[in-house]
Amino acid sequence: MIRRLAPTAAILFLVVAVPFVASGQSTNGSAKLTYKVLPTVKAQVVPNYASGYGPQGGLGSGATPTPGPNAVANGGTVDFGNVVAGYQYLYKYAAQVNVQTNDSAGFVVYAEGATDLNGSNPVPSPATYPILSTLFWLTSSSSNTAFSPATSFNKTGGTALGVNGSNGIDYSGSGGTPPAASTVWNSATGGNISQGFDYQLRLSGSIPISQFNVYIVYTVIGN
Amino acid sequence: MRRTNLLAFVALGVLAALTVVSQADALQAQKALKFYSFAFTVTPSPSPVGFAKPAAPANPVVPTQVAQLVADPFVGPAQVASADALSWDVAPGATMIAQSSVQPTPVPVQFVTKSDPNAAFLQIFPQAVPPAFPYGTTVIPCAFKVFTFYTNTYKLVDWGQGTVSSGGTMTFPVENYPTASYLSWAVPDFSTTTHTYSNSGAPGETTWAGNAHQSQTHCIDLTLNVPASQPAGAYQATIQYTLYVTLP
Repeated sequence: MIRRLAPTAAILFLVVAVPFVASGQSTNGSAKLTYKVLPTVKAQVVPNYASGYGPQGGLGSGATPTPGPNAVANGGTVDFGNVVAGYQYLYKYAAQVNVQTNDSAGFVVYAEGATDLNGSNPVPSPATYPILSTLFWLTSSSSNTAFSPATSFNKTGGTALGVNGSNGIDYSGSGGTPPAASTVWNSATGGNISQGFDYQLRLSGSIPISQFNVYIVYTVIGN
Repeated sequence: MRRTNLLAFVALGVLAALTVVSQADALQAQKALKFYSFAFTVTPSPSPVGFAKPAAPANPVVPTQVAQLVADPFVGPAQVASADALSWDVAPGATMIAQSSVQPTPVPVQFVTKSDPNAAFLQIFPQAVPPAFPYGTTVIPCAFKVFTFYTNTYKLVDWGQGTVSSGGTMTFPVENYPTASYLSWAVPDFSTTTHTYSNSGAPGETTWAGNAHQSQTHCIDLTLNVPASQPAGAYQATIQYTLYVTLP
């Protein structure tokens, strides 16, 4: 999307030689110049960003969840480990989004699944399971539980780049930007700020027995 | 001898009482529990549409002033150059600049599903439901299905997850007793009567009962009532279903 940039106003006093051609005289004046600067946006996403990260919940399943082997502090995978079909889980401190921008109007952060949930080991039939209504996000809070209100991730309408979207999502063929429904954070200010997110897993009783993987792609756009 | 008989009689009575109590305890047991979560958005009602006459410009351009400026652009005192309300993008020359955006490294998510040991007794199958609801009452036919089975008689009970008998803080739509729930349920296989969800914790209300070896799967119709006082936004209801079985 093309848009106008946020204006930065400045008064620039100049000594101007006004070309009075007829009289050959010169005089001083002032010029007011309003200009815009090119905003910059940088962002990083850190999985497992705080101590205590990992899954909890599964009430009624008879099993206590523990982080999977690919979950490592300040990186790695949001690995729920073993979970029981038909139950709900919360993954604490799943991902933290850090944004640095000089855009005083702020920014919007979007997040989508690059694909649906990809099943493997064993490969189910069909090989994917809908991410919608299965994997959810909510802003991190110590009071969050597996039953806290949360918003479902969507499968993107863009093109997944790399294997299963490991390199992100190309939105050029789908309007250029992620859909508004995938907004996870809308900041009205710029600067260097962060927001943490927990993930929720709500497993239907009909989900196949398999290992599932998906990439969550965050896109940050200046206002 | 008589004293011994009396003691034996009392002991027999205590034993009989204990047996009855322990049998009563053994009569029913919680076999399995599951949760149904229902996330939705309340959308604002359509606003009335009207037209307002645009206000007149604050400083209308007088044609004669324009004509004078065209005839002599340098008339008057020393000129002042000003961008005023205008502004230019960088680089100048009417070049438009795309929004700044960035995609950090994607976050990999993984989990391994294991079979549910309770699946033979209790399962919940969510069905497709609308993501958004208007104000007023909306019926969601077969919002989800519930399967129950046991080798002995059983009953399925429900209540709003997180609700308690007093002092609860659960909010819309399930609320907490004594505020009535704005979410109701019905099992059309049995009756069209709707019941507001129990919202005072255990023991809840009986959804249905079953005979030994009776396998049942029924649709649950939901009725959501959104009062006009409820702000638009995202909400969630979670219902706990518990299967109590009679032990042999």
